[in-house]
Amino acid sequence: MKLGFLVDLHLCMGCKGCQIACKVENEVPLSTWRLRVKYVDVGTFPETKRTFTPLRCNHCENAPCERICPVSALHYIENGIVNIDKERCIGCAGCVMACPYGAIYIDPETQTADKCTYCAHRIASSMMPACVVACPVEANIFGDIEDPTSNISKYIMQHNGDVQVRKPEKGTNPHHYYVGGGNVTLNPLASFRVEGHQLFNKLTTKMPVGGHH
Amino acid sequence: MVHEAVAATHAVVTLDVGLPGIVWPWFVTMNMWAKSIGTGVIFMLFYLQKRHGDDPAVATLRFPVAVISIVFISIFLLFTLADLHQPFRMWHIFFYPHWTSPITIGAIMASAFMGLITILAFFSFIKKDDEAYDKLLLWTMILAIPVTLYTAALLSMCTARELWQMPTETVQMMLAALLSGAATIILYDAVTGSKMKEESIRSMAIILGLAAFASFTMYMAEMIFGPMKAEEVAAVLEFVKGHGEYATMFWIGQVFAYIVPMALVLLSIVNRSNNLLKLAALSAVVGLWVVKHVWLIIPQLLPMS
Repeated sequence: MKLGFLVDLHLCMGCKGCQIACKVENEVPLSTWRLRVKYVDVGTFPETKRTFTPLRCNHCENAPCERICPVSALHYIENGIVNIDKERCIGCAGCVMACPYGAIYIDPETQTADKCTYCAHRIASSMMPACVVACPVEANIFGDIEDPTSNISKYIMQHNGDVQVRKPEKGTNPHHYYVGGGNVTLNPLASFRVEGHQLFNKLTTKMPVGGHH
Repeated sequence: MVHEAVAATHAVVTLDVGLPGIVWPWFVTMNMWAKSIGTGVIFMLFYLQKRHGDDPAVATLRFPVAVISIVFISIFLLFTLADLHQPFRMWHIFFYPHWTSPITIGAIMASAFMGLITILAFFSFIKKDDEAYDKLLLWTMILAIPVTLYTAALLSMCTARELWQMPTETVQMMLAALLSGAATIILYDAVTGSKMKEESIRSMAIILGLAAFASFTMYMAEMIFGPMKAEEVAAVLEFVKGHGEYATMFWIGQVFAYIVPMALVLLSIVNRSNNLLKLAALSAVVGLWVVKHVWLIIPQLLPMS
């Protein structure tokens, strides 16, 4: 069994339900995210559209984080998930530096590396990951990619030619797929970033309340 | 912010989590810099003994070199430990080793290296057994090679940071050790009254100058040709080009670590001036820190998502 994820970006509406469900389920501390949804605006008014891309650990078959971890805190489990043993982690941040997807962070509370585990604890109890359950449009499809009868395998077959992974040139062989993705959504260098500027704050500088004193 | 926006699409990231910032800070720069000196002086002592064994001042270097190496390897180990978010779990590396990780291999080799240089100090200061010292120096020098290079393997295994390539980083690490090792010996000789023969110090000067030249050439080659092969390398190098965030620091490093030492070494050889050589050595040691720091930081500024 090799578990994998597929996100149909045609369906995703950027509600961030998955993001919040993940945070609640895994008690992810403030300022950190195991899963987040990236918004990219494309085009010039009035011909504009907004794209939504959920980003999480890709559970690579050839995971750089697993390879670089000096204490095997990051390790494979039988179902293909790259899991993390936070009790063993020494916080060297080698995995953070190695992951080409920026999916690993240092948990500010435990001072150890942390990332999406595909909710390994839920799967062990035959439950779906929290983000899959929370998605209102079933854009998150999860299952065994080695089983041709699984939903994810069928979906991949149905959308053959439109299934992509992030940064395939890295040779990591991710187990996380996107349908309807493109350069703008999957390539971090393909879109402009205004530093500090976010949709919900529009802050370009960190000014104190009331402006300059 | 570096980007390769496609003008026709006007693609703008309007919502994403903030960049994680610098994950490996200047502690790691200190780690690499101190290790270069700690292993570099061992290379230099071995070379001096083989090439200039007849110089009485070279024979007196045994204990000082062991002490310098111990000091700088201690700095290297201290900063390695300090950089861990869970430093009290350091022992996990030895009890749960993961052999594909250069951190594991490096930690074990660096510990063994520390043991060997401590024994060298013991042989030279307590036991006063030069023969045993010189025999052990060979094995210490051999171990110094992988200790110098393992960080290059670590950087190269960071799949996310394309700027750090193998074998470029390996060569740069070795050149940094030769550069800083030669510079440290020159400075030590200057501080202790310039006792080394002219030929010996000239050898150190040539190593310093050639290492600076080779290293500088490689950085320039990476600056020019790196962007032609990889999108991420091109994006990262924007930080040190033109008005890039780290452009000034990058050139300060290149000037102090390589250009000034190259010029001063040449002038010192032509003019037989030790003072210029001392200045070259000091410039190289200081500049190397800056060079290492810039090269460590810039790939971390690139958005991964």
